[in-house]
Order: sequence, then structure tokens, then C-alpha cells
Amino acid sequence: MTSPRSFNSLRARLLVLVLGLAAVVWLSAAALIWRDARHELDELLDGHLAQAAALLVVQQAAHHDDDKVADAPALHKYAPRVIFQVFHEGELVQRSAQAGAAQMSAVERGFSTVRLADGSEWRVFATQGAERDVQVFVGEQIASRSAILRAVLRSVLLPLMLALPLLALAGWVAVQRGLLPLRHLSEVLGQRRPEALEPVVLQDVPAEMQPLVQALNGLFGRIERMLASERRFTADAAHELRTPIAAIRAQAQVALGAGADEMERQHALQSTLAGCDRATHLVEQLLTLARLEALPAGAADMVDLAELARRVLAELAPGALARQQQLELDVAAPCRVTGSELLLGVLLRNLVDNALRYSPDGATVLVRVALENGQPLLQVEDSGAGMTAPEMARLGERFYRVPGHAQPGSGLGWSIVRRIAQVCGAQVEAAPSARLGGLAVSVRWPGRDGREA
Amino acid sequence: MRILLAEDDAMLGDGLRAGLRQQGFQVDWVRDGEAAERELASGVYAAGVLDLGLPRKDGMDVLQALRARRVTTPVLVLTARDAVPDRIRGLDLGADDYVVKPVDLHELGARLRSLVRRAHGQAQDSLRSGGVMLEPAARQVSLNGEAVALSPREFDLLHALMRSAGRVMSREQLEQQLYSWGHEVESNTIEVHIHHLRRKLQPDLIQTVRGVGYTVLRDPETT
Repeated sequence: MTSPRSFNSLRARLLVLVLGLAAVVWLSAAALIWRDARHELDELLDGHLAQAAALLVVQQAAHHDDDKVADAPALHKYAPRVIFQVFHEGELVQRSAQAGAAQMSAVERGFSTVRLADGSEWRVFATQGAERDVQVFVGEQIASRSAILRAVLRSVLLPLMLALPLLALAGWVAVQRGLLPLRHLSEVLGQRRPEALEPVVLQDVPAEMQPLVQALNGLFGRIERMLASERRFTADAAHELRTPIAAIRAQAQVALGAGADEMERQHALQSTLAGCDRATHLVEQLLTLARLEALPAGAADMVDLAELARRVLAELAPGALARQQQLELDVAAPCRVTGSELLLGVLLRNLVDNALRYSPDGATVLVRVALENGQPLLQVEDSGAGMTAPEMARLGERFYRVPGHAQPGSGLGWSIVRRIAQVCGAQVEAAPSARLGGLAVSVRWPGRDGREA
Repeated sequence: MRILLAEDDAMLGDGLRAGLRQQGFQVDWVRDGEAAERELASGVYAAGVLDLGLPRKDGMDVLQALRARRVTTPVLVLTARDAVPDRIRGLDLGADDYVVKPVDLHELGARLRSLVRRAHGQAQDSLRSGGVMLEPAARQVSLNGEAVALSPREFDLLHALMRSAGRVMSREQLEQQLYSWGHEVESNTIEVHIHHLRRKLQPDLIQTVRGVGYTVLRDPETT
């Protein structure tokens, strides 16, 4: 309990708290008792002193002719602690055995506390007779009062001192039993295999532990879903990589087996190279996605969408021109958004690349940067075949490719676009393009003002 | 041997078709599940190579539908799905073989030959009838131990007849087994090839059943 480390133990903490508080309560109670007892004792004993003094005055009035100093006998074991002196017309006429000859106190009426020649402290009550010829002092040793108080305190505190270890033991047992469900939980968790992610089911979970168990089960659920998604991704990735590799292998083997057929060999070798490019593209997309998955959501710098679009389109234009595709940029208004310039570049490149890839030769792809009700809008439209509603619904499933396309794609472009949008706080939406008849993909930044900054 | 290839990936399909053709297979290529089911159900193919992730209809569904329609054409599933439960499901649904991509083209050819052989109840790869022995893998034919040079068409025709030894094949059936799409067949082609085969091998090897077709007699030794 002395080292700070042990306070990390719930048990030690509870025990120290309970015992400490009990001790404080007891000490306060003892202090109150002591104060009360002393007050009552003082009143009672002072009363007795006054009473005794009054008796002595009355007695002296009856025997005032007796000039001899009388020494009263000590009749009780407490007698030495009580002394008195009776003076008649300035002369000591009566005193108790321990009393000296001099007046005990300078105060002639009422209470006073004096220190006598032997160093002892006394409580003295002084009074005079009706005609002021009789002076009476009655004293009581202060130490005896303290002794009584100590006895009272002892009788209160002693049982408590004895009870404290017992209480500690009882407290320890109670804490131990009280924390049993916690220990049970930790045992259950400790015995788990690392891959076991099913919810923890405990009987009679105390109400205080319910949130903990629920939070734990919630966490297990999330980890399970995350792992499942990871496993699916790995399986999908393996699946998707196998097809281009199988194609490369088949084409290479065809080239080897072509014999005298030079045309067939050439075709097979060209296909082998194309297959390698396709596998490279797939691996690059996979790596991009893997990096994105590890990225925390949050925006960084201000990005000029028009400038970004100009750059991406310039990059993709040669490929489009080779297929007689028309690539246009329409900047309706300057538009700035917060986000990573790098990521938004990847997003736009994927969207435009998709539009070009899945549109026929000679098609038109239009990129628009505009403000829509003051909010930034980035739109990529194409004049391709478009998509059916169920196909649109499946967009963004990893490795989903719209069927019937000869163009090789990774099926990951949409997953990448979605993830980047999520990171940059944007929303992506696909719809039929009213202007070009193909697909229109809109990226919006809800709740942002594109004009600011 | 005429094979149906169902594969949606353009580059892989192209490679598989070319590779199988190099090994003497006649290959027709379809790119979606519905076409695969329709073509395989036609019964003209000796075997099918079926990818599982096909558009329009998944390969597993195609397989299930075919077997439900009592189509017994051997089917080799060629897929990237390598998980054991997938393999088990594919085989249980009626696949005759389950091969995971990528595959060696020669192995694929051997597996297809093996499927066709088993479908005809043969234990050995080589086929015999009288003094004629045909080895499909090597694409060689010998008569009484001496090699005989045949054109690819002649070989395919003899192979089709010997594979179905004891059964009469109509001219249409033989044409369907021999020619993949895009090859025009002239009306008397089969007759010309039969004539050549009789001349190069034995005159009585292939018998004509008038008005029905042709047959190679089942060899008592091999059955």
C-alpha cells in the first residue's frame, strides 16, 4: 500500500479507502467524545468543588470559635487529589492533609487555575462567608481530570483499535468477493485464443460491469468485421492477380508453341506485354488502396480544383487522343476545397481514367469544376454506354467490374475514389449523364463554401 | 476435339484459345455464363472449360443448370477461386475437374483429353481398332506399328470416330465435332476425308451405314 504501483490495484485502492475512511470517522468520533466528555466532566467537577466550598463555609460558621488548625483525614484514594483550606479572619483554621499553609489562589471568589510550589496544576474554587471573615479554597488536581478523560477515551478507542485489523480482514474478503466477476472476466479473456472474436457471454454480470462487457463485445465485433474485410480483400486480391498472371503465362506459352507461325508468336508476345502492364496497374492500384486504408480521415491543405483538374487532364490527354477521345475541362467558377492535393489528384485521375477506359473510341469526357449552391462540385461525365441501376449499386465493391468490357481494369478504381472522398470529407455519387448520355460522377463537399479562402 | 471455352477475360481467353488450338483442339470461345450454358447444352462439344466468375450467370450456376438438364458433357472448371470449399462445391455441383489459375496449357490439354477419355469409358489414352492405333496426346496414328501421316482434319475425324467406336455418327455430328465457329464446311468434306482415311489405313476400318452415317467397329481386345 505504500508504493504508488499497488494503487493500480483496484483491490488495494478499495481496501485503503475503506479502512482509511473508517479510521477518520472513528478519530472524529473520538475527538467529539473527548470534547463532550471534558466539558461535562469540567462542569460536574466544578460543581462539586463549589458544593464542597459551600459546605466548608457553612461548617466554619458553626465552629468559628475553635482556633486550632484542624487537618481533615484523607478518606478516599482520590482524597490526595482534592485539597481545601479554610481561613477565618485571615488565619488558616482548617485544611486538608496535602494543603499548604499559604492561600492556594490569589483569586478570592470563583474559579481559577493555579500552579503550586511542587509544580502540580490545580483547579481552585474560592468563596467567602456572608460576613467576609471566612475564606474557603477548594482545589482539585488538573491531572486527575485528565486521567478520567484519558480513561474515557481509552474505553472508546481501544475496541476500535482492536476492531481495525478485523475490519481490514473483513474488508479484504468483501472486496475479494465483490471483485469476483471482474476476475472471472479477466480469466475468460485470458483463456481466449487470439483469433476468437465471438462476444463474451457471462452469467450474472453486475450492472457496473455491463457497459465494460458491452464495450468489449462491441470492440470484438468491430475487429471481427475489420478482419473479415481484410480476409476478403486478400482473397479478392489473390483472385484478381491470378487472372492476369494466368493470361501472361498462357500467352507466353502460346508464343513458345507458335512454331513457324510468326503472326501468332507476335500477337502472343504483344499480349504478354499487355498482360504485364495490366498486372502492374492492378498492383499499383492495390498498393494505393492499401495505403489509403491505413490513412486517418482529416483534411490538410487548400486545393484549387480547377488547377488540379488542368494538371490531371494534361496527364491523361495523350492516351485519350490516341483513341480519338475528346477530353474537355469546363471551369465555371474558381473552386477551392480543403484536402490533400495528392489524394484528390489520385481521385480525379481514377475518375477520368475510368471514364476514358470504359467509353468507346471517339467518345467525349467532360470534367466540370463548379459551385453548386455555393458548394464545390467536381463532375466527370462521359458519352459512354453508361450503367444500369444494379451496376451502379455495385460500384465500389472491390474488384467489381462492369461486365461486357474488353478494357482491362483493376476493379479497384471506385474503391480508391470512395476511400479518398471519405478521407477528404467529400461525397461521391454516380448518375446517368443528362448532357452526354453516359455516366456522370459528381464529387461534392457538403457544408463547405467553395468561394472562401 | 471440339472444346467450348467460357472465359470473360479477353487476354486470358485469347491465350487459352490459341494454346489449345496449337494442341489440335477446335476451340469455341464464349464470354458469359448464359452463352456457356446454351452452347454446352447443345451437346456438340467433347468438353468444356468453364471460368467461375462469369458475367450474366456465375459458372457454378451454369454447372448446376447443365447437370439439372442431364447434360453430361465433361466440364473442367478453370478458376482463380482456390479455396477448398470452392473446389468441393465445384466438384459436387458436377465439375469433372477443378483447375486453379494459372495453368500450364499442356496440362490443360492433357486434362481435357483425360476428361473426354473417361467420358467414353476408356482407361488408356491410346485408341485401337484392328491394326490401327491412335494416340491423341502425340496426335499420331500407326498401322500395324508403322506411323501413318494424316492431315489434322483426318486425324480429328478418325479420333472422333474411334472415340465413339461402336456407335454410328451422322455426317452432321462429325462436322459439328470437327469444325469450330467460323469454319465453313463444304458439303462433301467428310466423305473426302473418309475416303482418304480408308486409303491410308484399312479399307474396312470405317464402315458406312447407308442413310445414317459412319462407324468404327469396337475392338474386342480393348473392351
